[in-house]
Amino acid sequence: MASLLPTDTVLTFEGLAAPLQVGHCLGGGSQGQVYAVELEGEPLALKWYLPSFLARDAGLQTRLEESIRRGAPNDDFLWPLALLRPDDASRARLGVAGRGFGYLMPLRPPAYVGAAEHAAGRIAISLRTVLRAAFFLAAGFHDLHSFGFCYKDVSLGNLFLDPGSGGIRIGDNDNVDVIGSDGGAVLGTWGFMAPEVALGQARPDVASDLFSLAALQFQLLTRHDPFRGALELAIPCLDLPGRRRLYAEDPVFVFDPRDTRNRPDPHEHVAALITWPLYPRRLQRLFEETFGPGLHDPSRRALTGQWKQALAVVLDHLRLCPHCGEENLEHDPDPGGARCWRCRRPLPPAPLLKLANGGVTVAEGNQIHAHHLDPLRAEDLRRPVAEVVAHPSRPGLFGLRHLGGAPWQVERADGRRFEVLPGETCSLGRAALLHTGAGPLRIGDHLLRP
Amino acid sequence: MPFPDVRLASRPLHFLYICDCSGSMQADGRMQSLNQAIRQSLPGMAEAARQNPEARVLVRAVRFADRAGWHIATPTPVEQVRWNDLQAGGVTAMGEALELVAAELRSPPMEARALPPVLVLISDGQPTDDFDAGLRSLMREPWARRAVRLAIAIGHDADTEVLQQFIGEDPGLPAGEVPGASGQMPRHPLGRSPRRPLPASNATTLARYLQWASTAVVGAASTTASRLGGADDNRGPVPLPDLPPTELDPLEDPDPIKW
Repeated sequence: MASLLPTDTVLTFEGLAAPLQVGHCLGGGSQGQVYAVELEGEPLALKWYLPSFLARDAGLQTRLEESIRRGAPNDDFLWPLALLRPDDASRARLGVAGRGFGYLMPLRPPAYVGAAEHAAGRIAISLRTVLRAAFFLAAGFHDLHSFGFCYKDVSLGNLFLDPGSGGIRIGDNDNVDVIGSDGGAVLGTWGFMAPEVALGQARPDVASDLFSLAALQFQLLTRHDPFRGALELAIPCLDLPGRRRLYAEDPVFVFDPRDTRNRPDPHEHVAALITWPLYPRRLQRLFEETFGPGLHDPSRRALTGQWKQALAVVLDHLRLCPHCGEENLEHDPDPGGARCWRCRRPLPPAPLLKLANGGVTVAEGNQIHAHHLDPLRAEDLRRPVAEVVAHPSRPGLFGLRHLGGAPWQVERADGRRFEVLPGETCSLGRAALLHTGAGPLRIGDHLLRP
Repeated sequence: MPFPDVRLASRPLHFLYICDCSGSMQADGRMQSLNQAIRQSLPGMAEAARQNPEARVLVRAVRFADRAGWHIATPTPVEQVRWNDLQAGGVTAMGEALELVAAELRSPPMEARALPPVLVLISDGQPTDDFDAGLRSLMREPWARRAVRLAIAIGHDADTEVLQQFIGEDPGLPAGEVPGASGQMPRHPLGRSPRRPLPASNATTLARYLQWASTAVVGAASTTASRLGGADDNRGPVPLPDLPPTELDPLEDPDPIKW
């Protein structure tokens, strides 16, 4: 694509103390182009708008200025840092492009890939990592809405994830607007737009964000579209009228418990049929509610806090099948006992570490967070207190690895007291009381090793 | 353990170049420019396809001169397309080219389900065969009627009238209406609309239009594109993205006083 700005050069901007080193063009679309830049040695990204887009989005500058003034809701947003207009010297070099503006934002770290890579099955990623990414996505929108902003254009294309950690980055924050301000040019992306927005009955806002968030969560967790089932197969050419029918005029969730018209096809929609049963009812219900009654009643859409809570609990109870090693999630009581979703062999009951707020299944990799120890804290996965690890040589013995902060003071039932330093592991094989910086943690007798 | 080995369901998105290879394409290096422009646009199209997991972008090409024939006959995944140069020479059998395309848009060989096809007709002259018959055959096919049909007019001798017939009526602007006279913000600057033949008077403009068709239009046809409010939004098989800036209007005035 032809470049709007000269590349591999230095440009100066109004109000920017140091010159900006403009590197190569990272990509572009119908709104503008994004460049890799460096400001005083710090790598950043610069988005520069096409003048034709600026003409169509009169409120853009005000929105960006407000976003910059208030700052990012959390570090997962590639948030605008500064609005840039060329100074006189640069303007002369930029031609008509110099009459427009752009903004600086953090550069996406190299480990992060587009969420489309996940949806397309092109990256190796674990179920735990996907659930973590889904949690961070809900947390991002929770923080964004709490800041008084709505996003307006949630889609697979605006989300990036780290296949190793489940960390996310949310890009394209230039449609972000103050809740209720009703400006902006963007309506959303088909497949993610709330029906009332797609039908032109409402402008994008917090309620439509909640719908779009659920659609994106569904794509992350199932690699499938929530409305593509039998009704999609009845549409030969998926053009604009077809999409309108499928997503706006007569949307039916593929797993709607009451309306079964749009069930996934066993050949065309395999992903949905394989992945949906992996998830516990507490997650499935949020989708059923949002894509059922929530289609037409925005007040019935799952809230960001509900997503956070449900996803955090699901992560608390992840465990590996002892036969095939597959990741399994909690299941509602089943008279026959739980079975591994892949090898179908029975899953032995796993011990539960009861905590002040909920509990964590004693299975390798599960983490204890501050919200487990203090019921007043909101779910937050970013600073784990401890992680369940297996003893390197004694099968069946698990411990809690201290993941940082001050040493834990441990009082064992037999009266012994000792300290556990960060990086060390405290055995779950004996009853004890741990004083962690985040709150007390009791290891009960029921966890005594077999 | 990995996430289940499944992927988002996808539909084919057929992208067809329909290229004029008549003798006049030898003038001013037009043929070379077109070959270069298509070749250069392919990586961008492959990237757009990659970002659209719900679309499997499949490319074909028809050439027409004395006769029309397939240049790339097999629907080829975009990342596998190797563009061999087209050669110019002969007259302008555009009608026959449309017949060829029509036969391929019939079901079968078209799949039962697909995304709207994208047809890009590139010409620098006037048809020398029965264009009307070719267009009639094409438009008898439901897949052709639902296709995104774009046309690029190279040079000043291109028959923009037949290209407009290929695209179909530009519903946004009745004949004689001054753009913007309705008081609405025009989607596209003076006289330029993706629903009109796109005038490419030089190699750079040609390349930009082809790049636009292979990235922005592919994105729009497979939905990843954000939907913008506006008059153009609910028309046609897909909402068409803004045209790229070109040499003639390098970057449209961001702050026009009136239009």
